[in-house]
Amino acid sequence: MDLFAATCERLAATSSRNSKIRILADYLRPLADDDLTRAVRFFSGSPLAATDHRQLSVGHSTLREAVMQVTGWDKDIIRVCHRTVGDTGETLAALLHGFARGEDLSLAAAEEHYLALQRTRKTAHKVAHLVECFTRYRPSTLKYFIKVITRGMRIGLQEKMVVDAVASATGADTDAVRAANHRAGNLAQVALAARAGTLESISARLFHPMDFMLARPLDSLFDLGDPALWAIEDKYDGIRAQLHLQAGEIRIYTRGLEDATPSYPDLSGKLWLGLPDCILDGELMAWKDGRALHFNVLQQRLARKRPSARLITDIPVVFMAYDLLYLRDDMVLHLPLEARRAALEAITQQKGYPLLLSPRHEARSLDDVEQLFRDARDRGNEGLVLKRRGSPYEMGKRSGTWYKLKRPLATLDVVITAAEQGHGKRATVLSDYTFAVREGDRFLNVGKAYSGLTDAEIRELTRLLRALVTERFSRVLLVKPEIVLEVAFDGIQKSPRHKSGYAMRFPRIVRWRRDKTATDIDTLDRVREIYEHSLGGMKPGAAAPEE
Amino acid sequence: MHVTYSPEGIYLGAIGLWLDPRRSQPAAWLSHAHFDHARGSHGTAIGTPDTLEIYALRAGEAAVAHTRMQPLPYGESIECNGARLTSLPAAHILGAAQLLVEHGNERLVYTGDIKLRPPLCGAITRVEPCHHLIMECTFGLPIFHFLSKEEATARIVRFARECFDEGDTPAFLGYALGRGQEIAHVLASHGIATTIHGAISRYFPWYQRAGYGFGDWRPYQRDEAAVTGDTPRAMVTVPSFRATLQASTRRIRIAYVSGWASMDNARARTGAEELIPYSDHGGFHELLDLVQQSGVTKVDAVHGFTDTFARILAQRGVDAHAPSAFGERGSDEEAAD
Ligand SMILES: [Zn+2]
Repeated sequence: MDLFAATCERLAATSSRNSKIRILADYLRPLADDDLTRAVRFFSGSPLAATDHRQLSVGHSTLREAVMQVTGWDKDIIRVCHRTVGDTGETLAALLHGFARGEDLSLAAAEEHYLALQRTRKTAHKVAHLVECFTRYRPSTLKYFIKVITRGMRIGLQEKMVVDAVASATGADTDAVRAANHRAGNLAQVALAARAGTLESISARLFHPMDFMLARPLDSLFDLGDPALWAIEDKYDGIRAQLHLQAGEIRIYTRGLEDATPSYPDLSGKLWLGLPDCILDGELMAWKDGRALHFNVLQQRLARKRPSARLITDIPVVFMAYDLLYLRDDMVLHLPLEARRAALEAITQQKGYPLLLSPRHEARSLDDVEQLFRDARDRGNEGLVLKRRGSPYEMGKRSGTWYKLKRPLATLDVVITAAEQGHGKRATVLSDYTFAVREGDRFLNVGKAYSGLTDAEIRELTRLLRALVTERFSRVLLVKPEIVLEVAFDGIQKSPRHKSGYAMRFPRIVRWRRDKTATDIDTLDRVREIYEHSLGGMKPGAAAPEE
Repeated sequence: MHVTYSPEGIYLGAIGLWLDPRRSQPAAWLSHAHFDHARGSHGTAIGTPDTLEIYALRAGEAAVAHTRMQPLPYGESIECNGARLTSLPAAHILGAAQLLVEHGNERLVYTGDIKLRPPLCGAITRVEPCHHLIMECTFGLPIFHFLSKEEATARIVRFARECFDEGDTPAFLGYALGRGQEIAHVLASHGIATTIHGAISRYFPWYQRAGYGFGDWRPYQRDEAAVTGDTPRAMVTVPSFRATLQASTRRIRIAYVSGWASMDNARARTGAEELIPYSDHGGFHELLDLVQQSGVTKVDAVHGFTDTFARILAQRGVDAHAPSAFGERGSDEEAAD
């Protein structure tokens, strides 16, 4: 664990993706098999094996209690320290400076401690066990020992990088490792197989979320080329989801790769026995009397982790399927679009399930596409999705084989980075938000808007945002970038006011995207693209200086 | 002795002396030449010779045209309205001093900015027994632990050499007065050539007079990339220069040398990859040791995490207070200068 922690520090100090992967791979390469699995697991912030669904049940207050016992500092002092530092693992480790005996901590011993913490039920016993750990090991190691528990490494590390590092460390083919990881959903297991050269033997496993294929925004129809090359569907205003079906049981995973099954008893409440094992990609939609209900209606369902029977009757949800990832006993990602579609049609023909097939349209000309777009809008849908004929399903990619054509006015998905109290009747809630787009691991502000959300949503957001505060500057609260908003605007201009170098003109919040996480938001590249596009024929360099 | 705290500063009414006042006053003790301590146009300014000279340079000729400069070298004393003032060395920046005020039977010490560990440049702190201590606590939380000068030296030199090995240019961010010269001196004494930002090199003469060399250095040039066939050079510059560095076409890697660099969030704030937690302020335990070694019973905490630090001292039986005019502040970058 000591070397693991030192590696984390080096990763934190490196911004280049390639260097991060190199550092990771150099660390993983010499590890013995069992340590390799532990390290891979810890990097993804899971103290225990993925197959172990039991929880550690060690929260921030338990950790803090143990640190209080070791150091003697009271809650208020620790709170000031936490506010200054921002991260729990880092704060507590800094407080433990000078209290520990400085023993070595192996990965195996760390895992033993996690298991012991998980086995003990009583909080007092967990605290006692942590106190023992905190007085034995180096604070620099404890920092990451704690971060694994709190599941937040904050070193700018994404699972994809660990996947690529596993490939590099084991000499296995990167695509093969990625594919095996998608099949198994257990990188520790994949790492061992990669080393043993048995990646092919890893069979697909359901009931773990897989990365979604994403569509690129299409700014101009002319970028399409020949419309006949594209299969066209409506773009629904629902919640993107994966439906896993195995032996009649289903699970639902959202874009954040979270298991949302309990929220949809109308889907999971009964067995889907007439259907083969499969993974479907599609959209959860509120659906009544043969038509979709508005997204705002569906939002009411999203607000509830466990909806009441009444809510389920009022706002029933269906799964609108549009792609197939797995069928019977194997992944089908590599099959061409048409073959996947044909198999999907066979599945969705089975009646009696809350399952629909997304209709497919044909277009011979760009005029046809435009007409289809208007029709889709008339049906209350967002626009169109265009899928290249013959293309495979590319997990986790936003490649040029899927395009989305949305409302004429662009919107961006952004994350809230700061919040401010409103005035008048909104003086007690946080109603003004500053938001950012993504650039690698960083979040760069692009605008600020007064909330266009409902009072209930603002109250709920206020509660969530207060829990995410990292720093306070009089009225302004800086928050962890977690809450995603969809923001509409009239244009994008260059601006020195924001770190991104751009500012939205007249941004307004369209809605709160509970279904998305900060990794899903739009990038600075996308902002640049819209900006440059707005300059029309002008080359970016030819734009009038605005500095 | 009664001490008054107001937004204008710290005032010893009985002898008519202000300590590092925030506005122009008839008589002021200047503990050191950082802006937040030495500013305004005072009738009389008392301080070490280095402090007064650098203060005059920074404030500008006009501001100090009518100021009577009263140099008080380390260890020397003067009388002041019935009290005896003695200047004591403080490890912080060149010329930094504590002030010992002896009035009747009472001994009061004002630390100015201070640390207990030996600094890379400048004097070593002398702790003086006293009754009443007015002390800074910029880093008065138990999370702040800083490197010794030897550890900091090793980290600075190692980072520079690592960058050179990979064909990159190391850039060190440090405050214009104090840290900048320390970094430049450390690099020079390990044979590393440097380019120095003008905000830092303007204070070189005082450091050179005190015996600190800067070796092969030259001023930072606007278009560094145009220079070819040169020996590799490390840059030493000020934190505000970061944007210029990031816009550069060279492969520049940034190290941030500061007490605030003990927190990972410093990366996001400064763009630095290497964080070197070395400060010219004391870490938490140095501040506690200072209180203990001075045998003091009464402490006023000013500058920094005053409320929390005073509370911690109070829990240890010290009569400690945080004057509200010098209220608790978060991690305010500029104020650490
Ligand atoms: Zn200072």
